[in-house]
Amino acid sequence: MKKIYLIFFVILSLIGNSLNAQNQRVTGTVTNGDDGSSIPGVTVLVKGTTLGTVTDLDGKYELNVPENATLVFSFIGMNTEEVEVGQRNIIDITMVSDVSMLDEIIVVGYGSQIKSKLTGNIASVSGDEIQNMPVPSVQLALQGKAAGVFIESVTGKVTSAARVRIRGASSISASNEPLYVVDGIPFAMEARNIHGGAINPLSSINPNDIESVQILKDASASAIYGSRATNGVILITTKKGKAGKSKLDFNYQRGFANPSNKRDFLNSEEYIDYYRHAAANADAYEDFLYGDAPGTNDFWRGFVEGRFKRYSGHTAIIGANDEYLGSESNTNWQDQAFQQADITMIDLSTSGGTENITYYLSGGYSNQEGIVLGNGFERISARLNVDNKVNSWITMGMNLSIARTDIEQINADNAFANPMQLVALVPISPLRDQEGISSNVPVTTYYNPIRHAEYADRQMNELRTGTNGFINFRIINKMNWRNEIAYDSYTLQENNKYGTLTNTGESVNGYGFSNYAQTQNIMGKSFVNYTDKFGDISLDAVAGTELTYTLLDDTYVEGEQFPLDEFKTLASAGSITGGYQTVNQYSFLSYFTRLNIDYEDKYLVTLSGRVDGSSRFGANNRFGFFPAVGVAWVMSKEDFLADNSLLSFLKFRTSYGKTGNAAIGNFAHLGLYGVNNYNNQSGLIPNQIPNPDLGWESTTTTDIGIDFGLFNNRVSGEIDYYIKNTDDLLLSVPVPGTSGYGSQLRNVGSMENKGFEFLLNTNNTVGAFKWNTSLNFSYNKNTVTDIAGQDIIDPGSSRFMNVTMLDQPLGVFFGAEYAGVDPDNGDALWYVNEKDEDGNIVDPDATTNAFNEANYVVLGKPQPDYMGSITNTFRFMGFDLSFTFQGVTGNMVHLSGDSYMAANGEWFDNQLRSQLDSWKEPGDVTDIPQARLGYANGVQGRNSRYLEDGSYIKLRSLNFGYELPRSVVARMGLEKLRIYVVGQNLLTFTKYSGWDPEVSSDFVVDNVVSGVDFYSPPQPRSFTIGVNLGL
Amino acid sequence: MKRKYILPVLAAMLIFTASCEKYLELEPSQEISEDVVLQTDQNVKNVLLGAYSIFDNPELYGGHILLFSELMSGDGEVLFAGTYTDIRELFNKQLGVSNQYVRQHWMSAYNVINITNNVLSALEVVDEDDRGRVEGEALFLRSMMYFDLVRFFALPYDAAVSANSQPGVPIVLTPTKGIDESNDVPRATVDAVYDQIINDLTRAASVLPSSNNVFATSGSANALLARVYLQKGDYTNARDRANTAIGSGYTLMSDYASVFNNDEPSSEDIFVTYITNQDRFSAMTEFFSVPEFGGRDGDVDVLDAHLALYDPADQRLALFFEGNGRMRSGKWNNQYGVVNLIRLAEMHLIRAEANFRLGTTIGAAPLDDINALRERAGFGANHFATVTLDDILLERRLELAHEGFKMHDVKRLKLTVASRPYNANELVFPIPFREIEANPSLEQNPGYN
Repeated sequence: MKKIYLIFFVILSLIGNSLNAQNQRVTGTVTNGDDGSSIPGVTVLVKGTTLGTVTDLDGKYELNVPENATLVFSFIGMNTEEVEVGQRNIIDITMVSDVSMLDEIIVVGYGSQIKSKLTGNIASVSGDEIQNMPVPSVQLALQGKAAGVFIESVTGKVTSAARVRIRGASSISASNEPLYVVDGIPFAMEARNIHGGAINPLSSINPNDIESVQILKDASASAIYGSRATNGVILITTKKGKAGKSKLDFNYQRGFANPSNKRDFLNSEEYIDYYRHAAANADAYEDFLYGDAPGTNDFWRGFVEGRFKRYSGHTAIIGANDEYLGSESNTNWQDQAFQQADITMIDLSTSGGTENITYYLSGGYSNQEGIVLGNGFERISARLNVDNKVNSWITMGMNLSIARTDIEQINADNAFANPMQLVALVPISPLRDQEGISSNVPVTTYYNPIRHAEYADRQMNELRTGTNGFINFRIINKMNWRNEIAYDSYTLQENNKYGTLTNTGESVNGYGFSNYAQTQNIMGKSFVNYTDKFGDISLDAVAGTELTYTLLDDTYVEGEQFPLDEFKTLASAGSITGGYQTVNQYSFLSYFTRLNIDYEDKYLVTLSGRVDGSSRFGANNRFGFFPAVGVAWVMSKEDFLADNSLLSFLKFRTSYGKTGNAAIGNFAHLGLYGVNNYNNQSGLIPNQIPNPDLGWESTTTTDIGIDFGLFNNRVSGEIDYYIKNTDDLLLSVPVPGTSGYGSQLRNVGSMENKGFEFLLNTNNTVGAFKWNTSLNFSYNKNTVTDIAGQDIIDPGSSRFMNVTMLDQPLGVFFGAEYAGVDPDNGDALWYVNEKDEDGNIVDPDATTNAFNEANYVVLGKPQPDYMGSITNTFRFMGFDLSFTFQGVTGNMVHLSGDSYMAANGEWFDNQLRSQLDSWKEPGDVTDIPQARLGYANGVQGRNSRYLEDGSYIKLRSLNFGYELPRSVVARMGLEKLRIYVVGQNLLTFTKYSGWDPEVSSDFVVDNVVSGVDFYSPPQPRSFTIGVNLGL
Repeated sequence: MKRKYILPVLAAMLIFTASCEKYLELEPSQEISEDVVLQTDQNVKNVLLGAYSIFDNPELYGGHILLFSELMSGDGEVLFAGTYTDIRELFNKQLGVSNQYVRQHWMSAYNVINITNNVLSALEVVDEDDRGRVEGEALFLRSMMYFDLVRFFALPYDAAVSANSQPGVPIVLTPTKGIDESNDVPRATVDAVYDQIINDLTRAASVLPSSNNVFATSGSANALLARVYLQKGDYTNARDRANTAIGSGYTLMSDYASVFNNDEPSSEDIFVTYITNQDRFSAMTEFFSVPEFGGRDGDVDVLDAHLALYDPADQRLALFFEGNGRMRSGKWNNQYGVVNLIRLAEMHLIRAEANFRLGTTIGAAPLDDINALRERAGFGANHFATVTLDDILLERRLELAHEGFKMHDVKRLKLTVASRPYNANELVFPIPFREIEANPSLEQNPGYN
């Protein structure tokens, strides 16, 4: 078939020759400067004429040209090259990627567009930029790659969920996560696991299968996704084959990861000294408290010696009079919490095709251990994407993917079994008892997580299969009718069994549970695309309809009383103590349309709209309409700028539109009774107040932007300013508890996000030594502008400080302001911060040592003001080097766990070495209050003592590779051979004293609570070496 | 394809979507609409069970209410050696307004109150034969909630003054069907709360059956009334209700240890929290016991000052055990089973104390009531020849140790706790911060910002 086309093209050019009397014959090969491969389909034109041809499957062309001709080579995504023919007969050309990316084809909702013709703001990341990163899911690979997109792994566990905020948070009670759309199908992101923190469902997609990621940020880009678009939309497109030679790509990568930071804890000797001191102080404090003569109370002194003996276990050194002399143990428990993590990634793919059928087939294996004891992730995946052109008017295709992941999940951060809580165990305790079994209470201060790692079986695996078929009819030349049906099935199976040596299993002869959860997503859509040109006006219109139905079900069983620890399944449980089966479902029915109008490539208009209905909303408010308009003016196409050598591209664009947020509970509008048990009988309890008016949260976004290119687009960039106003906020409004309820979901309140984004790409040097720089930074200011008329919504936690407060960013830290230590007596002091009626602080210097007399004030916010990144890429000969620094600034982090480990000896948890500086005698000036065993002295959960600046800059990634010359690899029978190293999180610059400021502890993180560090592991610092072969 | 196909294509798309609208009509699977719940006899009874299913949660009578009375009045006889800072705050009498356990007590108690209000609003659909029982159980549970709310969240009732008009807790007697300003209920006076409790319990005692599985009975209502009257210093009524309860068929277990850690209520139990392995575990076990029995680390140490109160021959002393290196109460070593809430021994103690104070011998002489308990504690018959009020109160302290009585007795008897007077602000819970924010009509307790 393809040969027929070739002959056709040849004939065509021959005819051209004869008609125009060309007299010079030129041949050559066009190759890709990025990877050395040949490029088929490049248009080769004689400048100023319509003479031309395209390159064949091997990138070769031949053409007869007139005298003094100049050839123009153009190909989408590549810089156009112009060459004067002169007297030459052979002209080989190397084309390089168009760095300005202005002509890049961008995937948009229900179609694609050329980047220079967009009216909206879409950040585009190519698959090349995120390949071979040792991360389990694509989100982390995107960190720092797009302006205005905040991405963080909730903790340093390899299995952690990612938090993504596109242009700030827009909701308090509904989700703030973007909509993920994979190959046109909304991706069900519900984490279904019970054990540990939420896992990341997107990790079932192999990042190396991804062709590109587009992030739709403003309304013009995203409103076509209607009620699910407020938080932005992330479009993930997987690889497809291209007509041409079959290619085979093999990648093998190995390496290791370690924690990016550790903290300093007391050793045995320091611990004993410190706690004796703390006990003596507590006795003296009680004398003072009860008005006794000094030396009257000595309870704590005796108590602490007893605890030393207990905690030292068999390694206690006891004197002749039964006095405690010390411990033979000096255990570094922190080191026990971490492990060196092995990383192995293998990918094999082949792609290619003919004019009619193209395919991409891949298999991938990834095994990434976590840096925390017992944490790991393994994925095996396969994908087949096939498109077939049946005839001139029908195209059919299918994407098939399957992935199985095995997850070694560890407990959530707040669990005693979380390995990070090992740091609470004390250095005088032995690692193991005399029988070699990991020690446990009463010898350890708490349940020993090593025991859990050794005697608790934790199995979790996910199986995800995606099937997505389409049939496209070309009804008339300019009109396509595309129909798609997709079925995405996700199952998660967890089987946990805790033996009799674990704390859960101890009192019940072993405990086990099994959880089976399934998410099924069925989607159908049908839309028509029409493009036409009327003179200088081009039209591109799309209209269609879509139905999504999602079914979630769960089956859970738990049991106790196993005859032997060796029995792992519930079939052996003597007593089945619990179980349930649940079903949840939701649906969306949508109608959407978009019209792009383009006048002379200069004036661009995009109109879009979507009508969405959902089962999630009350009968009074079931359908919503989400329109948007975007306009742009490509000023550089105006005559007065046409040949400007400085300014090669300049576009002004603005957009305005409305999007919705429907990510709330599935039946939040109904008044409901649920089931609860007593005496093994089922009872009914009211659990939700009805709200038939419940509807969408709607966000109007205004975006003003400039796209520019300078010096023939060697410098290009984008500047955007936006205002996002969210109204009818879906808010869980606290109601008086005396009503029997805690809250009611209502559409009240509003929130605003304002900010700007700046993106700059430069080709600093061209030629043999290439140096590109990509810089982005952004600023976002989030303000809660109305919360149902209240001033504050305080979840009322004693441990966490994040609240929702009027006129403040979402989740500000609200608590007592720490005023240091009273030099006279070592008491922690607090600023009273009493306010007068106008809200002004009466006496900013007034302090008190009574925590309850301190008024709470706003102490900081968890979200950054500025974030940004800079990537430099160098290429020379076959070498390439690229590194990305990424950072945030302006955010605070609450070291909530420090109220235990930096608690100046309030209780027996091992302390950070910083606590040695606690107040000792009158006159001492220090920030650490006097150590008083058993008494809270400055360690209350809600205070600014544990709040620190979370700004950081990280060397997020570093890639260094060498590609062997083609001449060398050709001799090996290869197309390509590249060896490379990848480093991740190699450097961190921060003032933060905890493990890692990039944290939002997994058991507590939600829209309001973030920036909390509670025994959360740091990010891994990884180093891998890889080899990439191409055939 | 030709242009003429365009219309059929569009028509096909429309038909496709028109048939889809039914997918928007989805119903929940695990819950039912409130409209149908209170319409039938069985449903109302199920809602009553729902009230019990909250009542047994750890934050209420699954343990915290008993535990916190013991810890807050801890003054050298027990030590909280656990790690939960919110409980240590409570033990050190340095409660913050955001204390999670204080908040949970408040929220869950009013949840039970609302559920019982729902039941009480739908009595007319209950079968006539069961109507009294259903009404009585709902009133009983509601009274229990109010009694502990007013004891923890308000300054103590003072029998010596004519009016206890200090703020009690908000009284809500109707089910919540929506939220508006009328839900901003202010605190009623302590007097008003006690009046409500006594009215409800009096009614409950008259309509409840004498036996009722593990649920409330007329005996439970009379016993709780005796306890309420005693707290008020109304000894006549306390004595009479205790006497009625004693005569309701309960018997003392023959040895002290068998009173506790039972899987099923014993003949001595007048009312219990009945925890099965389908529920959450007993919070008394969680904190008082050790991992061997499903407890935490052994968070409550019993100190020598307490153990020294017992005669060495006292079987109640023998029940204490050493766990994780410290002495522990032996009453709470069953994580799934009975949490004793009201037992017959308490009624003997109330009757003895009230009779003694009133100089009467209704039912039995104080000496006989006390000797009955001494005998069961292993001292043989007629251990004492005479008793004083101090003997009776000490007996109460020993017999009911670590069962949640301590702080309320401190307040009733106007004792001191760790150098603080019985009516110190620190011995009263703060109104939870979230509640003050959500309800502008609420007044905070003195001593809390």
